[in-house]
Amino acid sequence: MSTDTSDCVEDVGVVPLSSIERTLSSALTKVQQPDLAPVVRACLSNLVIFCREPERAAAIEKDIPHIVRLHPARVLLLVAPPGNDEGGIEAQVCVRRHRAVTGPAVYSEQVTLRASGHAVNRLPYVVRTLIIGDLPINLWWAVPQSPPLAGTLLFDLAEHAEQIIYDSTGWPEPAHGIMAAAAWLNRLVEEAKRGFWRTAADLNWRRLKVWRRLCQQALDPRTAPGAIESITELVIEHGPHGVMQAWLVGGWLAHRLGWQLDQSRVQPGNEVSWSFRTAHGTARVRFHRLPEGPPSIRHVRIACKLEGKAGALDFAVEDERRLAVVLEGVEAALPRTVALPREHEHDLVGQQLSDRERHPVFVDSMRLARNMANMVIGMDSAAQK
Amino acid sequence: MATAIETVERENPLIVSTGATLLPQPCVLVIFGAAGDLSWRKLLPALYNLNVDGLLPSNFAVVGFGIGASGDTDAWLRDRARDGINHYSRRPSDDVHWEDFARSLFYVEGSFNEARAYASLRAKLEAVDHQFGIPGNRVFYLAVPPQAVPSCVQHLKEAGLISPAEGDRPFTRVIVEKPIGHDLESAREINSCLATAFAEQQTYRIDHYLGKETVQNLLVLRFANSIFEPLWNQKYIDHVQITVAEEEGLTHRDPQTGEVTGSRVGYYEGVGALRDIVQNHILQVLCLVAMEPPRSLEPDVIRDSKTQVLHCLRPLSPDDASKAVVRAQYIGGDMLGQEVPGYRHEVREFFAMRKQPIPPESTTETFVAMRLFVDNWRWAGVPFYLRTGKRLPKRVTEVAIQFKDVPPVLFNANPSVPLEPTVLAMRINPDEGMSLRLASKLPGPKVRIYPVKLEFHYNASYGESTPEAYERLLLDVMAGDPTLFMRSDAVEASWAFVMPILDAWNEGHVRYLPEYRAGTWGPLEADQLIEADGRHWRVL
Repeated sequence: MSTDTSDCVEDVGVVPLSSIERTLSSALTKVQQPDLAPVVRACLSNLVIFCREPERAAAIEKDIPHIVRLHPARVLLLVAPPGNDEGGIEAQVCVRRHRAVTGPAVYSEQVTLRASGHAVNRLPYVVRTLIIGDLPINLWWAVPQSPPLAGTLLFDLAEHAEQIIYDSTGWPEPAHGIMAAAAWLNRLVEEAKRGFWRTAADLNWRRLKVWRRLCQQALDPRTAPGAIESITELVIEHGPHGVMQAWLVGGWLAHRLGWQLDQSRVQPGNEVSWSFRTAHGTARVRFHRLPEGPPSIRHVRIACKLEGKAGALDFAVEDERRLAVVLEGVEAALPRTVALPREHEHDLVGQQLSDRERHPVFVDSMRLARNMANMVIGMDSAAQK
Repeated sequence: MATAIETVERENPLIVSTGATLLPQPCVLVIFGAAGDLSWRKLLPALYNLNVDGLLPSNFAVVGFGIGASGDTDAWLRDRARDGINHYSRRPSDDVHWEDFARSLFYVEGSFNEARAYASLRAKLEAVDHQFGIPGNRVFYLAVPPQAVPSCVQHLKEAGLISPAEGDRPFTRVIVEKPIGHDLESAREINSCLATAFAEQQTYRIDHYLGKETVQNLLVLRFANSIFEPLWNQKYIDHVQITVAEEEGLTHRDPQTGEVTGSRVGYYEGVGALRDIVQNHILQVLCLVAMEPPRSLEPDVIRDSKTQVLHCLRPLSPDDASKAVVRAQYIGGDMLGQEVPGYRHEVREFFAMRKQPIPPESTTETFVAMRLFVDNWRWAGVPFYLRTGKRLPKRVTEVAIQFKDVPPVLFNANPSVPLEPTVLAMRINPDEGMSLRLASKLPGPKVRIYPVKLEFHYNASYGESTPEAYERLLLDVMAGDPTLFMRSDAVEASWAFVMPILDAWNEGHVRYLPEYRAGTWGPLEADQLIEADGRHWRVL
């Protein structure tokens, strides 16, 4: 089952659905050393992970020990490849010792449910029986698809979830994905007003934290007076499948600076651009897809005035470990850098699980990105006609 | 009045998007005494970890200042920093992060007493500002002995390196390490001296205990859980115990050869446990345990609530100082199977090694236990027992709230087998966490009561290691958040409380203190102090 065998000390294997809890308890009893302190069953929350492909499930299996090391949780891994047969659900359980802690032996639990065919729709019923009460429920939607496009299965699995985590990297139709996700995020905000509090988090938004922080520092009026007001162009270059990051950064910057969307233009092939009205004129925003590279932003250029002269802030990823900004047109200024923190998916998920704060700026930025996407979809449709 | 964070957010509309409560601002951190131990062991590793986490501003630099460097001074500081990181950082150094971090490290060689050195410092700061795009913001970390503080402050002022705390001007902040003085008078002198150059909101008196997660969790535990606050008073609490126990003596030795590898005797002799631990760490923790709910989380509102506790401490008369306070000194003993010398031996050894005259036999206390009262409505009559010492059996810092016994009926009716009281213990160090001891029924046909312990361990529940206290505190200074720092009135109030004890000790002119063997929990007198009240020290 788990590929990280050094962590998974008690792998019970396949068990009937009706005896999952009993098997977990006996596995924990079995690992108890008679003359040592009682084992601790560490559990900050329930983590329900949903994925489709067995290959993806195998990759997640490898990540789970890292995730629970950051945020101990009862993990329910659901693997549900698409299919039309009657199918069934098979359960496997294991308890995993945390390696990085001192003191008493600390264990967390994992249940893997593999469903096929129509049985996939029965997964929410099994999940309900396995949730530990009084603890937050997190759903990690580990499918490369905008969550609301998944339909009722997502809503059933997320029934009591306080947080839904997804990753917009590699969405097949980003503009459509944004449209759906932005509307769904708005619905969550409305539901929260009626007392049903829950939040959704895009791992891509978390990945971009460093980009946002460096932009914010480089454009700060105390270090670059007049830069924000004088922006005339924003160019974001991204690798293949990295356009979602461009939407998120572009939407964020335009939203925070109060720009009004004017018009868009799609270049055949690899570039899309918009025009915005700003408080002091117009600004052009361009997303440019590079022919190769990782699915992320590689370079951002913000044309603006620096020290009263035309210049630019040029941001680039260096060595995959740091983000540097060069001040074009400013003499003797050293490049400024910030470290790019660990960006493995398991780190992002582990951190996100403990971060239950609602991020209104994310929702607002998505709203603006939706308007940008709407324009692009409109132009695509017109071109097809 | 807008907070520093609100002001920054208003000026830069992009900042709110970070979603962070801590917004470190671009600045140069100037470490006075950067060649010293604190900088090597704590400050530089903490800054490195913040850099790895991407939490430092991109326009940030460190300038070390002092004597002790040689050759290319910038390179010297970088070597020193790397060595400190290799030894003490919670994360190992790696080349890429190190390269970035090292780029922002500089050193200015010079004496704290020479105006010329401050002119060099100023020139360096201006150059660094330009290179890193820093708008003149400065944080001066005075990692120097208390007696050097006035000179540093005076010279900084004369060199024009301090901006007033007003308007849109670049900020200047100063961090002062404990101890703030060695008695009330000297603390007042240091505070007055700081006040000649810095406004109170520019002054950060650091006590690294307050940066520890568990200490911060005291407020969360009390005010974010509805079950505790109704019980948090003299109606339900029998007494409180605060323990800061250390295994270490004052001298470090190579475990193989027994040779002395380091000593803190030079600092500790004449200071003692009361000044070193009780006056600051323990009283600060006590404030968090005993404070009234603040009306908001504004820094000064919280600090007001804490200071109020110090004002409510029942003053000790000279008679109380002898009856309610015990001091002692360790003699040779055994720690984990190894024979260790007593304190007086370590003092003689220290001065002999330096070929300095050996002072008369030391009467510096290495252990203090005391009973005090917080005279307000909430705590009337509830004793707080404090103890701290070196060469105790284990390193542990803990706050324990012991609740009152249930009435002697039902399960507590048998006086020969009284029920263990309910105890809420908050472990600050090591293995941070908390436990609650409750009575439960043993399985079986008879009704037999047995104590069980519900435990919460930070490590087990929250996974990976938490940041060091200095990391949090340095970020707070850069963000302009003084919540976790001591205000001048709190420092003076805590000195005012301990002064009668120090005065009584000075007047006593004793030649010998009570003794305890290294590796034991303190002198017999400490046990008698608490047992006279029908209570016992907790077994930790």
